[in-house]
Amino acid sequence: MTRVIGCGNLHRGDDAAGLLAARRLHALGIAAAGCSGEAIALMDGWAGAESVILIDAVVSGQPPGTITVWDPLAAPLPRECFVGSTHAFGVAEAIELARVLRRLPPRLTLYGIEGARFDQGSPPSPEVLLAVERVAQEIAQCTNPHS
Amino acid sequence: MSTPRNRTIKVDYMARVEGEGALYVKMKGERVEDVQLKIFEPPRLFEAFLRGRTFSEAPDITARICGICPIAYQMSAIHAMERALGIDVHPMVRLLRRLFYCGEWIESHGLHVFLLHAPDFLGYPDAIALARDHKETVEMGLRLKKAGNQIVTLLGGREIHPVSAAVGGFHRVPSRAELEPLREELKWALDASIATAKLVSTFECITFEPDYEFVALRHPTEYPLNEGRIVSNRGLDISADEYEDHFQERHVKHSNALHSYHRGFGSYLVGPLSRFNLNFDKLPEIAQQVARDCRLTPPVRNPFRSIGVRAVELVFACHEALRILDAYEPPPEPRVKVRPRSAIGRAATEAPRGILYHRYELDEHGLIVTAKIVPPTSQNQPRIEDDLRELMPGLVAESDAEITLRAEQAVRNYDPCISCATHFLKLNLDRT
Repeated sequence: MTRVIGCGNLHRGDDAAGLLAARRLHALGIAAAGCSGEAIALMDGWAGAESVILIDAVVSGQPPGTITVWDPLAAPLPRECFVGSTHAFGVAEAIELARVLRRLPPRLTLYGIEGARFDQGSPPSPEVLLAVERVAQEIAQCTNPHS
Repeated sequence: MSTPRNRTIKVDYMARVEGEGALYVKMKGERVEDVQLKIFEPPRLFEAFLRGRTFSEAPDITARICGICPIAYQMSAIHAMERALGIDVHPMVRLLRRLFYCGEWIESHGLHVFLLHAPDFLGYPDAIALARDHKETVEMGLRLKKAGNQIVTLLGGREIHPVSAAVGGFHRVPSRAELEPLREELKWALDASIATAKLVSTFECITFEPDYEFVALRHPTEYPLNEGRIVSNRGLDISADEYEDHFQERHVKHSNALHSYHRGFGSYLVGPLSRFNLNFDKLPEIAQQVARDCRLTPPVRNPFRSIGVRAVELVFACHEALRILDAYEPPPEPRVKVRPRSAIGRAATEAPRGILYHRYELDEHGLIVTAKIVPPTSQNQPRIEDDLRELMPGLVAESDAEITLRAEQAVRNYDPCISCATHFLKLNLDRT
Protein backbone atom coordinates (compact mmCIF):
# COMPACT_ATOMS: atom_id res chain seq x y z
CA MET A 1 0.00 0.00 0.00
CA THR A 2 1.34 3.39 -0.96
CA ARG A 3 1.09 6.27 1.46
CA VAL A 4 0.64 9.69 -0.14
CA ILE A 5 1.63 12.87 1.74
CA GLY A 6 1.17 16.39 0.38
CA CYS A 7 3.34 19.07 2.01
CA GLY A 8 3.17 22.82 2.24
CA ASN A 9 1.37 25.84 3.60
CA LEU A 10 -2.08 26.83 2.36
CA HIS A 11 -1.43 30.47 3.16
CA ARG A 12 1.72 31.04 1.15
CA GLY A 13 0.76 31.03 -2.52
CA ASP A 14 2.27 28.17 -4.51
CA ASP A 15 3.58 26.53 -1.36
CA ALA A 16 0.05 25.13 -1.09
CA ALA A 17 0.66 22.82 -4.08
CA GLY A 18 1.31 19.63 -2.10
CA LEU A 19 -1.62 20.15 0.23
CA LEU A 20 -3.96 20.94 -2.66
CA ALA A 21 -2.86 17.77 -4.46
CA ALA A 22 -3.59 15.76 -1.30
CA ARG A 23 -7.06 17.31 -1.12
CA ARG A 24 -7.69 16.53 -4.78
CA LEU A 25 -6.58 12.94 -4.29
CA HIS A 26 -8.92 12.65 -1.34
CA ALA A 27 -11.76 13.83 -3.57
CA LEU A 28 -10.74 11.16 -6.11
CA GLY A 29 -11.08 8.52 -3.42
CA ILE A 30 -7.36 8.08 -2.72
CA ALA A 31 -6.14 8.35 0.85
CA ALA A 32 -3.68 11.20 1.11
CA ALA A 33 -2.44 13.09 4.14
CA GLY A 34 -1.50 16.75 4.47
CA CYS A 35 1.62 17.83 6.31
CA SER A 36 3.47 21.09 6.89
CA GLY A 37 6.64 19.35 5.76
CA GLU A 38 8.18 19.63 9.21
CA ALA A 39 10.82 16.91 9.57
CA ILE A 40 9.51 14.93 12.52
CA ALA A 41 5.92 15.00 11.31
CA LEU A 42 7.08 13.73 7.92
CA MET A 43 9.16 10.93 9.38
CA ASP A 44 6.23 9.94 11.57
CA GLY A 45 3.93 10.23 8.59
CA TRP A 46 5.79 7.66 6.54
CA ALA A 47 6.83 5.37 9.42
CA GLY A 48 5.85 1.78 8.69
CA ALA A 49 4.90 2.42 5.05
CA GLU A 50 6.44 0.24 2.34
CA SER A 51 5.97 2.85 -0.35
CA VAL A 52 5.59 6.62 0.00
CA ILE A 53 4.77 9.39 -2.45
CA LEU A 54 5.49 12.97 -1.38
CA ILE A 55 4.23 16.08 -3.17
CA ASP A 56 5.81 19.46 -2.50
CA ALA A 57 6.39 22.84 -4.12
CA VAL A 58 9.88 23.47 -5.46
CA VAL A 59 11.87 26.39 -6.83
CA SER A 60 14.44 25.27 -9.40
CA GLY A 61 14.20 28.03 -11.97
CA GLN A 62 11.85 26.19 -14.31
CA PRO A 63 8.53 27.66 -15.47
CA PRO A 64 5.73 27.63 -12.88
CA GLY A 65 3.74 24.42 -12.94
CA THR A 66 6.65 22.27 -14.18
CA ILE A 67 6.47 18.84 -12.59
CA THR A 68 9.69 17.07 -11.59
CA VAL A 69 9.75 13.54 -10.22
CA TRP A 70 12.63 12.50 -7.99
CA ASP A 71 13.73 9.20 -6.55
CA PRO A 72 15.30 10.39 -3.29
CA LEU A 73 16.57 6.91 -2.52
CA ALA A 74 18.80 7.03 -5.57
CA ALA A 75 20.53 10.33 -4.80
CA PRO A 76 20.36 13.26 -2.39
CA LEU A 77 17.83 15.94 -3.25
CA PRO A 78 18.91 19.40 -4.36
CA ARG A 79 18.02 21.10 -1.08
CA GLU A 80 18.10 24.57 -2.56
CA CYS A 81 15.06 23.68 -4.68
CA PHE A 82 12.73 23.11 -1.76
CA VAL A 83 10.66 25.71 -0.04
CA GLY A 84 11.67 25.76 3.61
CA SER A 85 9.23 24.60 6.19
CA THR A 86 9.25 25.46 9.85
CA HIS A 87 12.64 26.96 10.52
CA ALA A 88 14.13 25.67 7.28
CA PHE A 89 13.85 22.10 8.36
CA GLY A 90 11.56 21.01 5.58
CA VAL A 91 11.05 18.15 3.16
CA ALA A 92 14.55 17.97 1.71
CA GLU A 93 16.15 18.21 5.15
CA ALA A 94 13.71 15.62 6.54
CA ILE A 95 14.67 13.19 3.78
CA GLU A 96 18.40 13.76 4.23
CA LEU A 97 18.15 13.49 8.01
CA ALA A 98 16.05 10.33 7.66
CA ARG A 99 18.69 8.92 5.30
CA VAL A 100 21.37 9.41 7.96
CA LEU A 101 19.12 8.05 10.71
CA ARG A 102 18.03 5.12 8.52
CA ARG A 103 14.40 6.12 8.71
CA LEU A 104 13.60 6.30 4.98
CA PRO A 105 10.82 4.09 3.66
CA PRO A 106 11.80 1.25 1.29
CA ARG A 107 10.28 3.08 -1.68
CA LEU A 108 9.98 6.83 -1.98
CA THR A 109 8.91 9.08 -4.84
CA LEU A 110 8.80 12.85 -4.71
CA TYR A 111 6.67 14.98 -7.03
CA GLY A 112 7.94 18.53 -7.15
CA ILE A 113 5.64 21.23 -8.52
CA GLU A 114 7.47 24.36 -9.58
CA GLY A 115 6.12 27.42 -7.80
CA ALA A 116 6.48 31.09 -8.58
CA ARG A 117 5.09 33.04 -5.62
CA PHE A 118 5.28 32.24 -1.96
CA ASP A 119 4.24 35.44 -0.25
CA GLN A 120 1.94 35.37 2.73
CA GLY A 121 -1.74 35.29 1.82
CA SER A 122 -1.34 35.11 -1.97
CA PRO A 123 -3.36 32.55 -3.99
CA PRO A 124 -1.64 29.75 -5.93
CA SER A 125 -0.62 30.50 -9.53
CA PRO A 126 -2.94 29.19 -12.28
CA GLU A 127 -0.06 27.11 -13.69
CA VAL A 128 0.44 25.49 -10.31
CA LEU A 129 -3.24 24.67 -10.00
CA LEU A 130 -3.12 22.92 -13.37
CA ALA A 131 -0.04 21.00 -12.27
CA VAL A 132 -1.76 19.99 -9.03
CA GLU A 133 -4.55 18.40 -11.08
CA ARG A 134 -2.07 16.57 -13.34
CA VAL A 135 -0.10 15.24 -10.39
CA ALA A 136 -3.26 14.14 -8.60
CA GLN A 137 -4.54 12.31 -11.67
CA GLU A 138 -1.20 10.60 -12.24
CA ILE A 139 -0.90 9.47 -8.63
CA ALA A 140 -4.52 8.35 -8.59
CA GLN A 141 -3.90 6.20 -11.63
CA CYS A 142 -0.84 4.53 -10.25
CA THR A 143 -2.14 4.00 -6.71
CA ASN A 144 -5.80 3.11 -7.36
CA PRO A 145 -6.05 -0.67 -7.03
CA HIS A 146 -9.12 -0.69 -9.30
CA SER A 147 -7.56 1.20 -12.17
CA MET B 1 48.11 36.42 7.24
CA SER B 2 47.51 39.96 6.12
CA THR B 3 44.56 41.75 7.63
CA PRO B 4 42.32 43.42 5.10
CA ARG B 5 41.61 47.00 6.07
CA ASN B 6 38.18 47.27 4.58
CA ARG B 7 35.83 44.38 4.49
CA THR B 8 32.21 44.01 3.59
CA ILE B 9 30.45 40.85 4.64
CA LYS B 10 27.12 40.20 3.01
CA VAL B 11 24.96 37.22 3.66
CA ASP B 12 22.51 37.67 0.87
CA TYR B 13 19.46 35.64 1.42
CA MET B 14 17.92 34.16 4.49
CA ALA B 15 15.42 32.04 2.69
CA ARG B 16 11.67 31.95 3.30
CA VAL B 17 10.29 30.58 6.51
CA GLU B 18 8.86 32.88 9.18
CA GLY B 19 10.62 35.92 7.75
CA GLU B 20 13.16 36.48 5.05
CA GLY B 21 16.38 38.29 5.73
CA ALA B 22 19.98 39.01 5.03
CA LEU B 23 23.03 40.14 6.93
CA TYR B 24 25.42 42.97 6.02
CA VAL B 25 28.51 43.99 7.97
CA LYS B 26 30.95 46.67 6.81
CA MET B 27 34.29 46.98 8.61
CA LYS B 28 37.18 49.40 8.25
CA GLY B 29 40.13 48.03 10.14
CA GLU B 30 38.85 47.24 13.61
CA ARG B 31 36.00 49.69 13.26
CA VAL B 32 32.56 48.41 12.37
CA GLU B 33 31.07 51.01 10.06
CA ASP B 34 27.69 49.43 9.49
CA VAL B 35 25.65 46.44 10.57
CA GLN B 36 22.30 45.62 9.06
CA LEU B 37 20.14 42.61 9.78
CA LYS B 38 17.61 42.90 7.00
CA ILE B 39 14.25 41.25 7.41
CA PHE B 40 12.17 41.39 4.26
CA GLU B 41 8.94 39.83 5.34
CA PRO B 42 7.61 40.53 8.81
CA PRO B 43 4.11 39.49 9.87
CA ARG B 44 2.74 43.02 9.77
CA LEU B 45 0.19 42.16 7.10
CA PHE B 46 -1.71 40.24 9.71
CA GLU B 47 -2.55 43.43 11.52
CA ALA B 48 -4.40 44.53 8.39
CA PHE B 49 -6.01 41.10 7.91
CA LEU B 50 -7.42 41.33 11.42
CA ARG B 51 -9.31 44.58 10.90
CA GLY B 52 -13.02 43.92 10.59
CA ARG B 53 -12.76 40.33 11.84
CA THR B 54 -14.48 39.27 15.05
CA PHE B 55 -12.58 39.09 18.32
CA SER B 56 -13.00 35.31 18.36
CA GLU B 57 -11.11 34.88 15.09
CA ALA B 58 -7.91 36.56 16.25
CA PRO B 59 -6.36 33.52 17.98
CA ASP B 60 -6.67 31.27 14.92
CA ILE B 61 -5.64 33.97 12.44
CA THR B 62 -2.57 35.04 14.40
CA ALA B 63 -1.56 31.40 15.00
CA ARG B 64 -0.68 31.29 11.30
CA ILE B 65 1.99 33.95 11.67
CA CYS B 66 4.53 31.40 12.86
CA GLY B 67 4.79 27.67 12.29
CA ILE B 68 6.96 27.09 15.34
CA CYS B 69 5.20 29.27 17.92
CA PRO B 70 1.48 29.37 17.08
CA ILE B 71 0.55 28.87 20.74
CA ALA B 72 2.34 32.08 21.68
CA TYR B 73 0.29 34.02 19.12
CA GLN B 74 -2.91 32.37 20.26
CA MET B 75 -2.18 33.03 23.92
CA SER B 76 -1.27 36.68 23.48
CA ALA B 77 -4.36 37.23 21.33
CA ILE B 78 -6.64 35.42 23.77
CA HIS B 79 -5.32 37.21 26.84
CA ALA B 80 -5.59 40.60 25.12
CA MET B 81 -9.18 39.87 24.10
CA GLU B 82 -10.06 38.65 27.58
CA ARG B 83 -8.58 41.83 29.04
CA ALA B 84 -10.70 43.86 26.63
CA LEU B 85 -13.88 41.93 27.37
CA GLY B 86 -13.40 41.60 31.12
CA ILE B 87 -13.22 37.82 31.22
CA ASP B 88 -11.74 35.68 33.98
CA VAL B 89 -11.21 32.04 33.19
CA HIS B 90 -11.45 29.00 35.44
CA PRO B 91 -8.15 28.12 37.20
CA MET B 92 -8.06 24.78 35.36
CA VAL B 93 -8.36 26.53 32.02
CA ARG B 94 -5.42 28.66 33.11
CA LEU B 95 -3.47 25.49 33.95
CA LEU B 96 -4.30 23.93 30.59
CA ARG B 97 -3.06 27.02 28.78
CA ARG B 98 0.16 26.80 30.73
CA LEU B 99 0.51 23.14 29.71
CA PHE B 100 -0.16 24.13 26.10
CA TYR B 101 2.62 26.72 26.28
CA CYS B 102 5.00 24.16 27.86
CA GLY B 103 4.42 21.97 24.81
CA GLU B 104 5.41 24.79 22.51
CA TRP B 105 8.52 25.63 24.52
CA ILE B 106 9.62 21.97 24.45
CA GLU B 107 9.06 21.80 20.68
CA SER B 108 10.76 25.07 19.94
CA HIS B 109 13.72 24.77 22.31
CA GLY B 110 14.21 21.10 21.30
CA LEU B 111 14.40 22.12 17.65
CA HIS B 112 16.75 25.01 18.25
CA VAL B 113 19.12 23.37 20.73
CA PHE B 114 19.68 20.17 18.75
CA LEU B 115 18.99 20.90 15.10
CA LEU B 116 19.91 24.57 14.71
CA HIS B 117 22.30 25.60 17.47
CA ALA B 118 24.34 22.51 18.48
CA PRO B 119 26.02 22.21 15.04
CA ASP B 120 27.62 25.63 15.66
CA PHE B 121 29.40 24.38 18.75
CA LEU B 122 30.34 20.95 17.43
CA GLY B 123 31.73 22.18 14.13
CA TYR B 124 29.13 20.92 11.69
CA PRO B 125 27.39 22.84 8.92
CA ASP B 126 23.96 21.50 9.88
CA ALA B 127 22.06 18.87 11.83
CA ILE B 128 22.29 16.34 9.01
CA ALA B 129 26.07 16.39 9.15
CA LEU B 130 25.86 16.35 12.95
CA ALA B 131 23.65 13.26 12.82
CA ARG B 132 26.29 11.32 10.87
CA ASP B 133 28.65 11.47 13.85
CA HIS B 134 26.22 12.03 16.73
CA LYS B 135 23.20 9.96 15.80
CA GLU B 136 22.05 9.39 19.39
CA THR B 137 22.23 13.09 20.21
CA VAL B 138 20.10 14.05 17.23
CA GLU B 139 17.67 11.22 17.94
CA MET B 140 17.31 12.55 21.49
CA GLY B 141 16.56 16.02 20.14
CA LEU B 142 13.95 14.70 17.74
CA ARG B 143 12.27 12.72 20.50
CA LEU B 144 12.30 15.74 22.82
CA LYS B 145 10.71 17.89 20.16
CA LYS B 146 8.14 15.21 19.56
CA ALA B 147 7.25 15.16 23.26
CA GLY B 148 6.33 18.83 22.88
CA ASN B 149 4.46 18.14 19.64
CA GLN B 150 2.35 15.57 21.48
CA ILE B 151 1.16 18.13 24.04
CA VAL B 152 0.34 20.66 21.33
CA THR B 153 -1.46 18.09 19.20
CA LEU B 154 -3.49 16.76 22.13
CA LEU B 155 -4.57 20.18 23.39
CA GLY B 156 -4.66 21.98 20.06
CA GLY B 157 -6.51 19.41 18.04
CA ARG B 158 -3.69 19.27 15.53
CA GLU B 159 0.05 19.70 15.49
CA ILE B 160 0.40 22.68 13.18
CA HIS B 161 -1.78 25.77 13.64
CA PRO B 162 -3.81 24.34 16.53
CA VAL B 163 -7.44 25.38 16.71
CA SER B 164 -8.82 24.48 20.13
CA ALA B 165 -7.86 27.55 22.18
CA ALA B 166 -10.57 30.17 22.37
CA VAL B 167 -11.35 33.49 23.99
CA GLY B 168 -12.90 32.43 27.31
CA GLY B 169 -11.25 29.00 27.47
CA PHE B 170 -11.01 26.11 25.02
CA HIS B 171 -13.49 24.81 22.47
CA ARG B 172 -12.96 21.45 24.14
CA VAL B 173 -11.03 20.42 27.22
CA PRO B 174 -9.47 16.98 27.75
CA SER B 175 -10.28 14.58 30.57
CA ARG B 176 -7.54 13.52 32.98
CA ALA B 177 -7.46 10.15 31.22
CA GLU B 178 -6.82 11.84 27.88
CA LEU B 179 -3.81 13.68 29.30
CA GLU B 180 -2.39 10.63 31.03
CA PRO B 181 -0.60 9.16 27.97
CA LEU B 182 1.64 12.26 27.99
CA ARG B 183 3.10 11.36 31.37
CA GLU B 184 5.60 8.62 30.53
CA GLU B 185 7.09 10.53 27.62
CA LEU B 186 7.33 13.69 29.70
CA LYS B 187 9.18 11.78 32.41
CA TRP B 188 11.64 10.68 29.76
CA ALA B 189 11.76 14.22 28.39
CA LEU B 190 12.61 15.61 31.83
CA ASP B 191 15.56 13.23 32.16
CA ALA B 192 16.58 13.97 28.57
CA SER B 193 16.44 17.71 29.24
CA ILE B 194 18.73 17.35 32.23
CA ALA B 195 21.11 15.31 30.09
CA THR B 196 20.85 17.98 27.40
CA ALA B 197 21.79 20.75 29.82
CA LYS B 198 24.81 18.76 30.96
CA LEU B 199 25.81 18.00 27.37
CA VAL B 200 25.64 21.59 26.14
CA SER B 201 27.43 22.85 29.24
CA THR B 202 30.53 21.12 27.82
CA PHE B 203 30.38 23.19 24.62
CA GLU B 204 33.09 25.82 24.37
CA CYS B 205 31.86 29.41 24.11
CA ILE B 206 33.82 32.50 23.20
CA THR B 207 34.04 35.20 25.86
CA PHE B 208 31.51 37.87 24.98
CA GLU B 209 29.36 39.66 27.54
CA PRO B 210 27.47 42.73 26.33
CA ASP B 211 25.85 45.02 28.87
CA TYR B 212 22.28 44.00 28.10
CA GLU B 213 19.04 45.42 29.33
CA PHE B 214 17.18 42.18 30.00
CA VAL B 215 13.40 42.47 29.59
CA ALA B 216 10.98 39.69 30.50
CA LEU B 217 7.70 38.98 32.20
CA ARG B 218 7.75 38.37 35.93
CA HIS B 219 4.98 36.69 37.87
CA PRO B 220 4.76 36.68 41.68
CA THR B 221 4.82 32.91 42.00
CA GLU B 222 5.66 31.29 38.67
CA TYR B 223 8.30 31.18 35.98
CA PRO B 224 6.58 33.34 33.37
CA LEU B 225 4.58 31.95 30.46
CA ASN B 226 1.12 33.47 30.07
CA GLU B 227 1.18 36.44 32.39
CA GLY B 228 3.21 38.78 34.55
CA ARG B 229 4.50 42.30 34.72
CA ILE B 230 7.11 43.45 32.24
CA VAL B 231 10.35 44.04 34.14
CA SER B 232 14.00 44.70 33.40
CA ASN B 233 17.35 44.78 35.17
CA ARG B 234 17.28 48.59 34.78
CA GLY B 235 14.24 49.22 36.93
CA LEU B 236 11.40 48.78 34.47
CA ASP B 237 8.26 47.38 36.12
CA ILE B 238 5.09 47.91 34.11
CA SER B 239 1.89 46.16 33.10
CA ALA B 240 1.20 45.18 29.50
CA ASP B 241 -1.17 48.14 29.35
CA GLU B 242 1.84 50.45 29.64
CA TYR B 243 3.99 48.65 27.06
CA GLU B 244 3.58 51.21 24.29
CA ASP B 245 4.37 54.05 26.69
CA HIS B 246 7.81 52.55 27.24
CA PHE B 247 8.65 50.76 24.01
CA GLN B 248 8.71 52.36 20.62
CA GLU B 249 8.84 50.81 17.18
CA ARG B 250 10.84 52.55 14.47
CA HIS B 251 11.08 51.94 10.79
CA VAL B 252 14.60 51.49 9.49
CA LYS B 253 15.40 51.73 5.82
CA HIS B 254 17.11 48.37 5.52
CA SER B 255 14.37 46.21 7.05
CA ASN B 256 10.66 45.67 6.69
CA ALA B 257 10.52 44.61 10.32
CA LEU B 258 10.07 47.52 12.67
CA HIS B 259 12.81 47.85 15.28
CA SER B 260 11.78 48.13 18.91
CA TYR B 261 13.56 50.35 21.42
CA HIS B 262 13.09 50.99 25.11
CA ARG B 263 12.41 54.72 25.18
CA GLY B 264 15.34 56.51 26.78
CA PHE B 265 17.44 53.35 26.94
CA GLY B 266 17.87 51.86 23.46
CA SER B 267 18.06 48.25 22.38
CA TYR B 268 17.08 45.52 24.78
CA LEU B 269 17.03 41.76 24.99
CA VAL B 270 14.00 39.48 25.28
CA GLY B 271 14.03 35.69 25.41
CA PRO B 272 15.61 32.91 27.44
CA LEU B 273 18.57 34.87 28.88
CA SER B 274 16.26 37.63 30.09
CA ARG B 275 13.68 35.27 31.53
CA PHE B 276 16.37 33.23 33.28
CA ASN B 277 18.21 36.22 34.71
CA LEU B 278 15.07 37.97 35.93
CA ASN B 279 13.20 34.89 37.15
CA PHE B 280 15.82 32.43 38.36
CA ASP B 281 14.15 32.34 41.78
CA LYS B 282 10.88 31.20 40.17
CA LEU B 283 12.40 28.15 38.50
CA PRO B 284 11.60 24.87 40.27
CA GLU B 285 14.44 23.57 42.44
CA ILE B 286 15.28 20.83 39.93
CA ALA B 287 15.87 23.42 37.17
CA GLN B 288 17.85 25.70 39.50
CA GLN B 289 20.06 22.79 40.51
CA VAL B 290 20.65 21.74 36.91
CA ALA B 291 21.59 25.34 36.11
CA ARG B 292 24.06 25.47 39.00
CA ASP B 293 25.52 22.10 37.99
CA CYS B 294 26.06 23.56 34.52
CA ARG B 295 27.70 26.72 35.92
CA LEU B 296 24.75 28.85 34.87
CA THR B 297 23.84 31.34 37.55
CA PRO B 298 22.28 34.73 36.93
CA PRO B 299 23.26 37.02 35.41
CA VAL B 300 24.28 35.02 32.36
CA ARG B 301 25.38 37.72 29.90
CA ASN B 302 27.09 35.66 27.21
CA PRO B 303 24.55 35.08 24.41
CA PHE B 304 26.56 32.09 23.20
CA ARG B 305 25.54 30.39 26.45
CA SER B 306 21.88 30.79 25.61
CA ILE B 307 21.93 27.18 24.41
CA GLY B 308 22.47 26.13 28.04
CA VAL B 309 19.72 28.42 29.29
CA ARG B 310 17.32 26.96 26.73
CA ALA B 311 18.21 23.51 28.03
CA VAL B 312 17.42 24.66 31.58
CA GLU B 313 14.10 26.00 30.31
CA LEU B 314 13.47 22.58 28.77
CA VAL B 315 13.93 21.11 32.26
CA PHE B 316 11.47 23.68 33.61
CA ALA B 317 8.89 23.06 30.86
CA CYS B 318 8.95 19.28 31.27
CA HIS B 319 8.77 19.54 35.06
CA GLU B 320 5.94 22.08 34.86
CA ALA B 321 4.00 19.95 32.39
CA LEU B 322 4.25 16.96 34.73
CA ARG B 323 3.13 19.14 37.67
CA ILE B 324 0.10 20.25 35.69
CA LEU B 325 -0.79 16.65 34.78
CA ASP B 326 -0.92 15.92 38.51
CA ALA B 327 -3.00 18.98 39.39
CA TYR B 328 -5.45 19.07 36.49
CA GLU B 329 -9.17 18.41 36.87
CA PRO B 330 -11.48 19.28 33.96
CA PRO B 331 -13.23 22.61 34.52
CA PRO B 332 -17.05 22.61 34.78
CA GLU B 333 -17.29 24.35 31.39
CA PRO B 334 -14.62 24.45 28.69
CA ARG B 335 -15.12 28.18 28.24
CA VAL B 336 -17.09 31.03 29.68
CA LYS B 337 -19.60 33.00 27.65
CA VAL B 338 -18.23 36.12 26.06
CA ARG B 339 -20.19 39.30 25.38
CA PRO B 340 -18.66 41.71 22.91
CA ARG B 341 -18.20 45.33 23.85
CA SER B 342 -16.25 48.32 22.71
CA ALA B 343 -12.88 48.15 24.45
CA ILE B 344 -9.11 47.96 24.12
CA GLY B 345 -7.18 44.96 25.40
CA ARG B 346 -3.44 44.41 25.67
CA ALA B 347 -1.40 41.39 26.69
CA ALA B 348 2.15 40.09 26.65
CA THR B 349 3.14 36.45 26.98
CA GLU B 350 6.48 34.69 26.80
CA ALA B 351 6.96 33.07 23.41
CA PRO B 352 10.00 30.76 23.28
CA ARG B 353 11.97 33.67 21.76
CA GLY B 354 10.70 36.28 24.23
CA ILE B 355 7.88 38.70 24.91
CA LEU B 356 5.08 38.75 22.34
CA TYR B 357 2.85 41.80 22.71
CA HIS B 358 -0.68 42.13 21.25
CA ARG B 359 -3.11 45.02 21.40
CA TYR B 360 -6.65 45.02 19.99
CA GLU B 361 -9.26 47.72 19.77
CA LEU B 362 -12.81 46.33 19.45
CA ASP B 363 -16.08 47.99 18.50
CA GLU B 364 -19.37 47.33 20.28
CA HIS B 365 -20.02 44.24 18.11
CA GLY B 366 -16.64 42.74 18.94
CA LEU B 367 -15.16 43.53 15.55
CA ILE B 368 -11.48 44.41 15.47
CA VAL B 369 -10.90 48.08 14.68
CA THR B 370 -7.12 48.08 15.07
CA ALA B 371 -4.54 45.46 15.95
CA LYS B 372 -0.90 45.72 16.93
CA ILE B 373 1.48 42.80 17.20
CA VAL B 374 5.09 43.14 18.36
CA PRO B 375 6.93 39.81 17.98
CA PRO B 376 10.09 38.99 19.91
CA THR B 377 12.32 38.99 16.84
CA SER B 378 11.31 42.59 16.11
CA GLN B 379 12.26 43.50 19.67
CA ASN B 380 15.59 41.71 19.49
CA GLN B 381 16.58 42.94 16.05
CA PRO B 382 18.36 46.14 17.20
CA ARG B 383 20.06 44.15 19.95
CA ILE B 384 21.28 41.56 17.41
CA GLU B 385 22.84 44.38 15.40
CA ASP B 386 24.43 45.79 18.57
CA ASP B 387 25.88 42.34 19.35
CA LEU B 388 27.43 42.23 15.90
CA ARG B 389 28.89 45.73 16.31
CA GLU B 390 30.49 44.68 19.61
CA LEU B 391 31.61 41.25 18.42
CA MET B 392 33.18 42.11 15.07
CA PRO B 393 36.17 44.25 16.21
CA GLY B 394 37.54 41.31 18.20
CA LEU B 395 37.47 39.16 15.07
CA VAL B 396 39.35 41.47 12.76
CA ALA B 397 42.36 39.15 12.51
CA GLU B 398 40.21 36.18 11.56
CA SER B 399 39.54 34.93 8.05
CA ASP B 400 36.47 36.06 6.18
CA ALA B 401 34.98 32.61 6.58
CA GLU B 402 35.52 32.70 10.34
CA ILE B 403 34.01 36.19 10.64
CA THR B 404 30.98 35.10 8.64
CA LEU B 405 30.52 31.99 10.74
CA ARG B 406 30.76 33.98 13.99
CA ALA B 407 28.31 36.55 12.70
CA GLU B 408 25.82 33.85 11.77
CA GLN B 409 26.28 32.21 15.15
CA ALA B 410 25.68 35.54 16.86
CA VAL B 411 22.38 35.80 15.01
CA ARG B 412 21.48 32.19 15.80
CA ASN B 413 22.04 32.81 19.51
CA TYR B 414 18.72 34.61 19.40
CA ASP B 415 16.82 31.80 17.69
CA PRO B 416 15.07 34.42 15.61
CA CYS B 417 12.55 33.15 13.15
CA ILE B 418 15.21 33.68 10.49
CA SER B 419 18.00 31.87 12.34
CA CYS B 420 17.35 28.61 10.59
CA ALA B 421 17.97 30.05 7.20
CA THR B 422 21.44 31.22 8.15
CA HIS B 423 22.56 27.62 7.82
CA PHE B 424 21.96 27.86 4.09
CA LEU B 425 23.28 31.31 3.36
CA LYS B 426 25.56 32.33 0.56
CA LEU B 427 28.40 34.68 1.37
CA ASN B 428 29.52 37.52 -0.85
CA LEU B 429 32.67 39.16 0.30
CA ASP B 430 34.09 42.36 -1.18
CA ARG B 431 37.63 43.43 -0.36
CA THR B 432 38.74 46.96 -1.03
